[in-house]
Amino acid sequence: MTAGTAVAPPRDPAAVRPNLLEIENLFVRFELPTETVRAVSGVSLTVAPSETFALVGESGSGKSVSMLSVMGLLSSPPAVISGSIRLEGREVLGMSARRLRKYRGKDVAMVFQEPMSSLNPVHRVGRQIGESLRIHRGVSRAEARRQAIRLLDRVGIPSAKNRVDDYPHEFSGGMRQRAMIAMALACEPKLLIADEPTTALDVTVQAQIVDLVRELQAEYRLAVVWITHDLGVVAEIADRVAVMYAGRILETGQASDLYRATRHPYTSGLLRSIPRLDRSVTTRLAEIPGAPFRVVSELAACPFDDRCPLAGEGCQDALPELDTVGHGGHRSACIHHHQMGPASTLWPEGTVAGDQASADQAIDTVVSVRDLQVHFPIVRGLSRSRRRAIRAVDGVSLDVVRGQTLGIVGESGCGKTTLGRAMVALVRPTGGTIEINGKPINHRSGRHRRVVQMIFQDPFSAMNPGMRVEDVIAEPLRIHRLADTAAVRDRVTELLTQVGLPGDSGERYPHEFSGGQRQRIAVARALAADPEVVVCDEPVSSLDVSVQAQVINLLADLQARTGMAMVFIAHDLAVVRHVSHEVGVMYLGEIVEKAPRDQLYADPLHPYTKALLEAVPVPEPDYDTTRRTRLTGDVPSPADPPSGCRFHTRCPVAVEGLCSTVKPSLEEVTPGRWVSCHLVSPPAGHPAVAHLGLGE
Amino acid sequence: MAQYSVVVVVAVTLNFLLPRLMPGNPLALIAGVDVGMLTPDQRADIVARVGLDAPLWLQYFRYWGDIFTGDFGFSFRSSRPIVDMIWERIPWTLLITGLSLVVSAVVGVLLGALSAWRRGTKGDLSMLSGMISVESLPSFWLGMVLISLFAVQWGLLPSFGAVTPASDLEGWAHVWDIISHAIMPVAALSIVGTPGVYMTMRYSMLETLGEDYIRTARAKGAGERRVLFGHVARNTIAPVITVLAIRLGFAFGGTVIIETVFSYPGLGRLVFEAVAGRDYPVMQAAFLVFTAAVLVANLLADLLYPLIDPRTRTS
Repeated sequence: MTAGTAVAPPRDPAAVRPNLLEIENLFVRFELPTETVRAVSGVSLTVAPSETFALVGESGSGKSVSMLSVMGLLSSPPAVISGSIRLEGREVLGMSARRLRKYRGKDVAMVFQEPMSSLNPVHRVGRQIGESLRIHRGVSRAEARRQAIRLLDRVGIPSAKNRVDDYPHEFSGGMRQRAMIAMALACEPKLLIADEPTTALDVTVQAQIVDLVRELQAEYRLAVVWITHDLGVVAEIADRVAVMYAGRILETGQASDLYRATRHPYTSGLLRSIPRLDRSVTTRLAEIPGAPFRVVSELAACPFDDRCPLAGEGCQDALPELDTVGHGGHRSACIHHHQMGPASTLWPEGTVAGDQASADQAIDTVVSVRDLQVHFPIVRGLSRSRRRAIRAVDGVSLDVVRGQTLGIVGESGCGKTTLGRAMVALVRPTGGTIEINGKPINHRSGRHRRVVQMIFQDPFSAMNPGMRVEDVIAEPLRIHRLADTAAVRDRVTELLTQVGLPGDSGERYPHEFSGGQRQRIAVARALAADPEVVVCDEPVSSLDVSVQAQVINLLADLQARTGMAMVFIAHDLAVVRHVSHEVGVMYLGEIVEKAPRDQLYADPLHPYTKALLEAVPVPEPDYDTTRRTRLTGDVPSPADPPSGCRFHTRCPVAVEGLCSTVKPSLEEVTPGRWVSCHLVSPPAGHPAVAHLGLGE
Repeated sequence: MAQYSVVVVVAVTLNFLLPRLMPGNPLALIAGVDVGMLTPDQRADIVARVGLDAPLWLQYFRYWGDIFTGDFGFSFRSSRPIVDMIWERIPWTLLITGLSLVVSAVVGVLLGALSAWRRGTKGDLSMLSGMISVESLPSFWLGMVLISLFAVQWGLLPSFGAVTPASDLEGWAHVWDIISHAIMPVAALSIVGTPGVYMTMRYSMLETLGEDYIRTARAKGAGERRVLFGHVARNTIAPVITVLAIRLGFAFGGTVIIETVFSYPGLGRLVFEAVAGRDYPVMQAAFLVFTAAVLVANLLADLLYPLIDPRTRTS
């Protein structure tokens, strides 16, 4: 991997070479029947050849819309675009349809967020890659296929020759994104626009894709515009950054300046609200109040004003323009930028309300899972044989303790969601036991289910759109008879206030709330049942960065106040670290390591835990990434898990003749710390152990 | 496949049980109003001849045997073998339903695609409201209007039947005779059938046009023609095939009204006559044919799907 040899950022790119892409005063608005949404309001930026430029922002900030304008992919109506976009001096806006077709895919190419939906499901992958070549170079079918194989091989698809005729659904998520990149590079464009290309992928796969793009960039002398909400990824790849909010650029400059000498309160707030692996866990995350909004009328003042701790005199008077605040083109659109102190005083972390579960408290197990198995049969063929099964959860044992949070992490397909659903009795186990307060779990409906509640990943689909918020929250109260009919309303108001929403929000319907607010409603619904355990399945992964911190803090506050136990399922290791007391790492239906949080993060023992931790991007430019071991490949199929240690096919330190044949068991290596790895607790008497001297 | 056999068994069993669950004496059904005049010997003779003296399970077993040998018994009214009656009706029904299915499929798909491609324009919206109006027309009313205009008012087309009675036409004259009799029923069925196909096509294509992979294709530099035929068409057609399959399945049963209005000698009219004359064996046999038609149409759709969408192929 050439991760360490990435091109160093030129001192001042604009001075060295003419710009490849120049955007000047870009305005985009969507004239919809009900309202006019102003998506981009006066954006100017430049991208130099072979530079990586990151466009950072939350949902609705206008980052994708600006770049779709560069591609000429916004259909108008409803889009109305003005300003100027030039690639190598040629104006893109107002180009004829014919010229636009010759420009798209040849001069500029784009990779999208969802690799599955961005590939045509009914065409073979190779044909879709070759299509650009057929369009722009007029090559023959056979030649296009040959080139597709070469490109697939180049982007790291193993045995490309055999995969070129596969359909997209036969590829894994990571492979699909590699195929998308191959497609984008087919005609060797000068500019690659990557729109959140790793957001839908696992952290391990994200690291692979980031490495791949960096390699290709050097090889193809490619300029890359990387659109993202993740400041961690930005720090790893970007030469220069622009932070967008409400359709405006609020701060721009070289990556190192933006991270180390932040000159806009919003950038600083974003950086502060990300949970990080390299900082001590404080009781609470710094949070930006409020949520991003849709701009419907022309901006006349600083759009960040109502969420900003520096807001004061003059902020409401005029729309602040980007002003030079440092060298290397560092500019900020904040009139109070010179007053910015250290980020920690600007965005304080605060403390959790109430008492944190203290160590001297007696350990009181609420949920006890023993040797849990959830297998889903694969039904196929005329005979409807059920011989094979997806082993989603395959022998998991764990305890959830009152007042504490158990974090569960792992890549997608590791069984963490199924485990969570089994604990709430939403799926029926095929083996093992789950006990709640000493009583076996009951799958029938009824009031006994009050004790365990769940918060789901997507707050948009997790509540009935036809019910008023009041009824959404009141339903558990009514089912479990937790309040008199007269008292239900008061209790709902109380719950809404507890989760930080106005007490009168109950009158409205779920669609009237933002994602973060809806997740608060979901929390209120879970709390309404007065549960002893709440299972949270990726509760913040669909939320904006600034809103994530709010919800995480809310959950921590509520736990401190009510003493409930939580199971926190997530793929984001930093988030899990922030909320959990104990963490379990899952791989292919099994727990491979389980330990108190600080032990696990400070000294991961299982190679899989190590690899997961190393894959997490650090929001710090010039962070040494060279010594990382990257996990290769994808999670194998849970229908056919590898023999021996299930991780041995991807393990960088697997011992031949041992790990592939002998299944390691989950052993307690120090009190409270469980690991399932032959290298940590070698099986006695195995020849490989004696040979390697592992027994000492 | 398993589902299909279950449906067949359930349909045949229901068909067997229904008349036996009906109140009243089966003899009354067979002999009609004269039942009171039968001697005990005659009664026993009839019961034995029809097989009603055997235990129920044996009757059921024989019923299956009859179905496999194509023996549906005799019509109460005409005393003819029901198989023969059905066979002579099927070609006429197939002629008008098949033609109208092709017409409404072609017109519906083309107009639906055009509408979706020009989504939101005046043309799209007026076509959409036009189709909704057509959909709300009752088919018998449409048939009567056609008859009163083309047959009565202008005298251009014959108003009833499938051929001119006792005309002994031959060659091209005979062919034209059949066509001229089929035009109005086919037109009525096509007009009624088109809006459903149109709406499905339009909706399905709008869905497809909004897909991410269409944006990908445009980002590659694909022109409108390539986007439409290379990426949209195949992804759009699957729901349309489902609709057409359902229509094909019901085409046998759905023609009762139109065939009655035009006195067209198809299966639908046979059923109408059977219902009017309480000819239960004929009704039973016709219902079995309808069930079979629905199943065959569904099977056809199931076989077509994997050819269109590779995700539905089982490895």
